[in-house]
Amino acid sequence: MLSYFIRSVAFRHLRYSVSQSLLTIGVVAISVLLIIYLRTIIGGTQQRITQNTTGAIPHITVEPPERTPVGAWQLSSLGLDTDNLYVGEVVNLPKAREVIEDWRLWLPSLDAVDPEVATVSPIVTGQAFMNRGSRRQSVRVTGVIPERHNGIVEIEKNLDAGRFIGMVSGDVVLGQKLARDFGLKLRDKVRLVGPEGLTLNFSVAGIYTTGFGQVDDGQVFVTLRDGQSLLELGGSISSFGIKLTDLYDAENVARRMVPVFPFKVQSWVVQNPNLFRTLDAQGQTRDLILIMTTIASGFGIGSILVMVVTSKYREIGILKAMGATPGEIQSIFVLEGLLLAFIGCLVGVPLGVLLLKGLAAIRSVGPDGRVDAPFLIEIDPMLLLGASLVAMATGVVASYFPARKAGQVDPMQVIRGS
Amino acid sequence: MAQPVVELDRVGKTYYNGDVETPVLFDISFSIVPGEFVAIVGGSGSGKTTLLNLMGLLDRPTAGVIRVESQEVSQLDELERAKARRDRLGFIFQFHYLLPEFTVLENALMPCRMRGREFEKSQEPRMRELLKAVGLEDKLKVRPPQLSGGQQQRVAVVRSLANEPAVVFADEPTGNLDSKSGRLVFDLMKRLSRESGTAFVMVTHDDNFALEADRVIRIRDGRLVGAPTGLKGGE
Repeated sequence: MLSYFIRSVAFRHLRYSVSQSLLTIGVVAISVLLIIYLRTIIGGTQQRITQNTTGAIPHITVEPPERTPVGAWQLSSLGLDTDNLYVGEVVNLPKAREVIEDWRLWLPSLDAVDPEVATVSPIVTGQAFMNRGSRRQSVRVTGVIPERHNGIVEIEKNLDAGRFIGMVSGDVVLGQKLARDFGLKLRDKVRLVGPEGLTLNFSVAGIYTTGFGQVDDGQVFVTLRDGQSLLELGGSISSFGIKLTDLYDAENVARRMVPVFPFKVQSWVVQNPNLFRTLDAQGQTRDLILIMTTIASGFGIGSILVMVVTSKYREIGILKAMGATPGEIQSIFVLEGLLLAFIGCLVGVPLGVLLLKGLAAIRSVGPDGRVDAPFLIEIDPMLLLGASLVAMATGVVASYFPARKAGQVDPMQVIRGS
Repeated sequence: MAQPVVELDRVGKTYYNGDVETPVLFDISFSIVPGEFVAIVGGSGSGKTTLLNLMGLLDRPTAGVIRVESQEVSQLDELERAKARRDRLGFIFQFHYLLPEFTVLENALMPCRMRGREFEKSQEPRMRELLKAVGLEDKLKVRPPQLSGGQQQRVAVVRSLANEPAVVFADEPTGNLDSKSGRLVFDLMKRLSRESGTAFVMVTHDDNFALEADRVIRIRDGRLVGAPTGLKGGE
C-alpha cells in the first residue's frame, strides 16, 4: 500500500508542474484515442468488408463430392469389373450431374453437426431464361425453402414489396433491378425456361433490394420443388448452405465436418483466400501502428519523468537524507507515471468515444443511391478498458527507469553539492 | 554525566576505488551528550563532512563503532539506516533544499509526513509554534521560492527538529548566507538546542561561530587535533 508520504509527494509534483503534466497527459490521451479509433474503425471496415462478402453467401457450402478420374489399371484394385473393358472402344458416358440425392436424410445431421450452426438451407441452383413479352434474359434460378434460406440471405427484411417467407409453388421472388428491367410488379406473370427447355409460369410474389449485387441482379428465388422441376433434378438438390453464429469460426467448423460427411465441405475463407489475406495484412498494419503509438506514448511519459527526476535531484537527495527509503522514492515516480497515464485515459477514452460517435452519425449516399453510414462503428467497452490498461501499464513501465534512477540518488553527493 | 546521544569509538573511514585505497579518517573517538552544541572545524578536505556523514548514518565506517542512543549503528543496512535517520536524527545542509511544491509548514513537517498522517497531525501544533518562534508565523502557507535565503534556512532549521531528534547534524548551515542572516540562523540553532535539549553538531569554517559552541572538535588530515575544548562533555 502506498503511504501518505508517497501519495502526497507524487500528487504535489504533478500539480506543481502543470505544463509538464498536461503535456504528458496529452500524449497519453492521444495514444489512447488512437488505439480506440484505429481498432474500431479498422475493425468496423474489416467487419463491413467481411459482411459484404459473406452476407449473401453461406459461411459453409456442402456440395456433392468431386468425381476423381480413375486410371484403367486402378479399376481392379477398386473391386470394379474389368472383364468388359476394351481398349479403343468409344463409350458415351451419361452426362453426370453433381447432385445430392438423399438430402432429406442428411438435413437433420447437418442441423445438429455443431452448436455454431444457425441455419442449414437445401439449395437447387442453375441457369435459366426469364421471358416476358419480347424481353429475354439469362438468370440464376435458386430453389429454396424460404423459411430456411432467409437465414442465409435476409430477403424478408429487405423486401420492397410482397413476401418471401410463405411463398408457394408458382411464386417467384426477385430483385428490384431485375423487376425494373422487366417492368414487373407484384402478381405480374413471368416465364422461366430451364436448361433442358422446360418452361414454367410464375407469378411475382416479392421484390427486394439486399444491397448485394449478385443477389439483386440476375437471380430469382423459387420454391425448392419448383426449382427441382425447372432444373429437372427430380428430388435432388445442388448443395446445402450453412450459416454460423460466428463466421470467423467457419474454417474450423468446416474442418470438423469433413470426416463426418461424404461431401465436399468448404468454408467462405477457402472460397475467398484473397479477401482473408487482405484482412490479415490490414490487421497486422493496424497492430504495428498501435504498437508504435504505445511505444511513443511510453517514451513521452518516460522522458518527462527523466526531466522531473533530473530537476528534483537535490530534493530527492534531501528526502533520502531525512530518511526516505529508495523504495519510497521509486514508488513516488512510478505512481506519478501511473497517475499521468490514468488521467490520460480519463481524457482519451471520452474523446475517443466522442470521435467515434461523431463518425457514426455521418451519413452519405452510396453508389447504389442508398443513404448509409460510411463507418461501421460498434463501441466495445472491452476495447475502452483494454486501451486504458495498456496505457496505464505503459505508464508504469516507462516510469520504472527514471524512478529507479531517483531511488539510487546518493544523498552524500547532494550534500557535497556535486 | 548524561548518557551520550552519539558515541564514536576508534572510527576510521577509507574509500576504495579498485586497488586504490584512500584513507580519510583515522581513529576518531568522542561522544556528544544531550543538549550539547558542538562545532567541528578544519580545513578543506580534512574529513569534516565525512565525519558528519558517518555520524548522520549517511555512510558506514570502515573501522570502529558508532552508537546512537547506545545502539550500535555502524553496520546497519541501508533500510535500517534510513529508518534510524527518519526517527532519531535531524539534518540541516548548506543549501536548504526545501521542496518548492509544499508550503513552509508542510516543508517543516516533511520528516513527520514520512512517519504517517497521524504523526504529522500530532506534530503540527508544535511545528507552528517553532515557526512562530523563528519569526515565520505569517509565512506558514507561503511556498519556499517566495522566501529570502535566510528565511528558507530558518525553515530548514525548524524542519530538522520535526521528529524531536536526539541530535541534529548541520553541514555549514550558514555557509550560503550573508553574515547577518548567518548570525540569525546560528543564534536560532543555539536557542533551539538550549530550549529543546537537542544536541547539535555543526560543521563550520567560521571561527566566530565555533568559539560560541559548547565544544569545538578540530580535525586535520582525518585526525582529531588536540583535546576537544568546550563547556560540556569534554573528553
